[in-house]
Amino acid sequence: MSAPVKDVTIPEDAPSDLLLNKHADFIALYGAKKDDYEYCMTEYLRLSGMYWGLTTMDLLGQLERMDRQQVVEFVAACQHDCGGFGASVGHDPHLLYALSAVQILTLYDALDAVNVDKLVEFVSNLQQPDGSFYGDKWGEVDTRFSFCAVACLKLLGKLSAIDVEKATNFVLSCMNFDGGFGCRPGSESHSGQIYCCVGFLAVTGQLHHVNADLLGWWLCERQLPSGGLNGRPEKLPDVCYSWWVLASLKMIGRLHWIDKDKLRTFILACQDEETGGFADRPGDMVDPFHTLFGIAGLSLLGATEVKTVNPVLCMPEDTLRRINLHIELLSS
Amino acid sequence: MDVFDGTYGMYNSKQNTNTPLKKFVVPSIKVCFWRIRKQWKMHGRLKVKTTAEQQEAKRKEREEKLSKYQAATGRLFEKRKNAEHDGEALDLTGRILAHNSDFLTMWNYRKEIFQAFHKDKSSDEMQQLYQDELSFLETCLKSNPKSYSVWEHRCWVMDCMPQPNWQRELLLCGKFLEYDERNFHCWDYRRFVVRRANIPPQEELKFSTDKISSNFSNYSSWHYRSKLLPLVHPDMEQPQGVEETALLQEHELAQNAFFTDPNDQSAWFYHRWLLGRAERDQSIRCLHVCRPLNRLVATFSKHLKASAATLNVVKDGEVITGRWHTPRGTDTFEQVLIFEFPEHSLTPDRDQHIHVTLDTEAGLVGRECVLGAGHPEVFSRDITESQELFRSELSVAKSSVLQQELESCQQLHELEPDNKWAILSVVLLMRAIDPITYQEQTLQYVDKLTSLDSYRRNYYSDLSSRFLIENTVMQSEEGTNKLDLSGKGLTCVRHLDHMTLVVQLDLSNNRLTTLDIPVYMLQCLKLLLADNNNIESIAGLTNMPLLGRVSLRNNRIAKAQALAPLASCTNVSVLDLEGNPVCSTEGFKSDIVSVLQQIKVLDGSKI
Repeated sequence: MSAPVKDVTIPEDAPSDLLLNKHADFIALYGAKKDDYEYCMTEYLRLSGMYWGLTTMDLLGQLERMDRQQVVEFVAACQHDCGGFGASVGHDPHLLYALSAVQILTLYDALDAVNVDKLVEFVSNLQQPDGSFYGDKWGEVDTRFSFCAVACLKLLGKLSAIDVEKATNFVLSCMNFDGGFGCRPGSESHSGQIYCCVGFLAVTGQLHHVNADLLGWWLCERQLPSGGLNGRPEKLPDVCYSWWVLASLKMIGRLHWIDKDKLRTFILACQDEETGGFADRPGDMVDPFHTLFGIAGLSLLGATEVKTVNPVLCMPEDTLRRINLHIELLSS
Repeated sequence: MDVFDGTYGMYNSKQNTNTPLKKFVVPSIKVCFWRIRKQWKMHGRLKVKTTAEQQEAKRKEREEKLSKYQAATGRLFEKRKNAEHDGEALDLTGRILAHNSDFLTMWNYRKEIFQAFHKDKSSDEMQQLYQDELSFLETCLKSNPKSYSVWEHRCWVMDCMPQPNWQRELLLCGKFLEYDERNFHCWDYRRFVVRRANIPPQEELKFSTDKISSNFSNYSSWHYRSKLLPLVHPDMEQPQGVEETALLQEHELAQNAFFTDPNDQSAWFYHRWLLGRAERDQSIRCLHVCRPLNRLVATFSKHLKASAATLNVVKDGEVITGRWHTPRGTDTFEQVLIFEFPEHSLTPDRDQHIHVTLDTEAGLVGRECVLGAGHPEVFSRDITESQELFRSELSVAKSSVLQQELESCQQLHELEPDNKWAILSVVLLMRAIDPITYQEQTLQYVDKLTSLDSYRRNYYSDLSSRFLIENTVMQSEEGTNKLDLSGKGLTCVRHLDHMTLVVQLDLSNNRLTTLDIPVYMLQCLKLLLADNNNIESIAGLTNMPLLGRVSLRNNRIAKAQALAPLASCTNVSVLDLEGNPVCSTEGFKSDIVSVLQQIKVLDGSKI
């Protein structure tokens, strides 16, 4: 009983060149259609959506097409008295959106538009005695939130506001037999969580805790015959998982363990030649989320037409240089 | 409207018939990690060609749905602002969430409503309400089984319920896992239920056995076993270890799996875990005391931070106060730390007994050495450690188990000669049993892997580089400070932490593309040869005060600026760069001198 390999076939007529300007147009148009059905249905994640779109535009060198003032005002309006940010105006504060807000404001060099001290307070108040982080006051714990907390504070230069050692112990308690990480102690490894936990360790300067050869092996085994990467064993490939895996490999100095050309072909095949934008897999509908991770993935693979992306924070390196933020990665 | 009588909301058809909101069904949806996934699907939405007419009809339909949706959300935000915690709010949030189940604020509002109800409803009434909530969540899960928010809300409900029925939840998990045995949300929820209901790990181990027996290709279930096995069958001698009889049974299970489907990754990853890996304790692996530099270099088996460690230096029975720092002067976790003696504390004409200690959780660890009268330096090392460490990558106590596993994997390899997993396991087992004797065989197998599995060719070449380095370090003559790693086809250099006393390192004639690795760990290094590689950058060649000569002939260094890291090695006076692209650039010599002012001899000519 041999289980068939789950994978996709790349159509022969799939795009093989980067349609840079089409993607910029897709994002610019997406943000402009405020009455659009899909746009409205995704209001619950608006700040993250804006981060995906704006970062894409910046990586494509076309951030100036977006309305900076409008964006900054919107982000500021999402801040609550407690310091946290909701996904949209009036939505409840959550760490996920705190990070998106800080990323957007950092892109625009506009942190002075919000109350940073209160935000730092919001983040540090979510840390629990075991070092973990709640996503919000309701108490969901997840290593994603550990990453959001330290990424946010690192961008604000306030990492010392939390107990990094305890936070680290919690993240390490989520490490698994395969060298990967899960949501909580006991949870299965998943490349999204691995990205968060490895990112956490990178931000806090502790990548030595990773068993890079073991985890790198698991990660490079995510590559399927189509060239795309899946998020866990026996799953389908996906452009966004390609990013989580690729960025994690980059952080631990093992990016060269996958076949870069094959992955590039897969990512490029996920473009929509008509509308611009990237989908999860060839032939599917595009969206800003996969568009960012498609572009960012190509950047990590060495695409020269786009800016260099930072694998830890998924932001342009030039932005991080401007604020003097350097994160050391493992060497290969 | 007071629909709140225990049969409220949209899953009550009687009350639901006239509700216009029922219609706004968002297109079918799937899920993805992180912030999206859901009915509002961004994943797996096949793009379908439609006519202009169809598009217009769809647009109209969506416009209508949207206005209803927005009216409902607007109404809810208004009600919440007015602190209205009533049945209408519960009903409306239910309608929104049934179609957009990651709308966090709506779940929070719902929680607030329940909290408010606690004030004036009886325990029985609350129990009923929560039961209805659980049913509602089941309908949400049926359409969106991977919503973080829905599972999280279910945990919250179960924790708030007056009389939670954990057994029922366990059955529900079983059902959901039958439908999708890899849904990690459901597995996590199961672990939550197991914790709350105090279900013994033995029962869960049995559950996982049943799951695996029905389908070996179930990574989630193998993962669960890796957590349960050390709890159910602990090894008294090592934390996280597994008792031997159980371990042997487990090996059998894994073998059954990979003999059944040799291409299924799950069992192979699990098998590698079963073979174990060594957890090293903190120790001071070696010391180097250097009189001219008036300092001591210590190498540790685990990373530590100079600013956070309790380190002591005792010389001739007296505690010495000095400064510890990292090779680069950074506040980072490192395996090599440097101690600066106070001036004149190393008396030249007498033996100096030096003892370094470190406080660890497991107690005090230390190492001592004697710097002889008149000697400029002393090296102190633990020669056995490298050998043990390399071999214990697979650390099952008994080599008989390893031998048995090797035979099984070789058997499978004969049956399925192109199965990469079997070959890789054979390689790892051979390494664990006898890395030197099996050297040629393992390298041949790795070559075969490279051709069988070309996507991961660089993984395999790094793997053989690691093996070759381990074997060379293990076979190094006792007491030598020279390490010859030349001509081995290396694509990477691992284990620098086992080379910290090396004075002469030869990396020539390999396939290295960078020296961005932390070569600065080699604080005793005086001579570095790295000719005939493909080196483009040397970011790790910094802060080595004893380094005098560097040879980088026939590499790919294109600009003088690429050598800038070497500027911090102030003692480098001889540099060889012949055969690099930089040599044919205009003003080559003056560029090098301006970047590296300490160079006295470049490519054999005095500057």
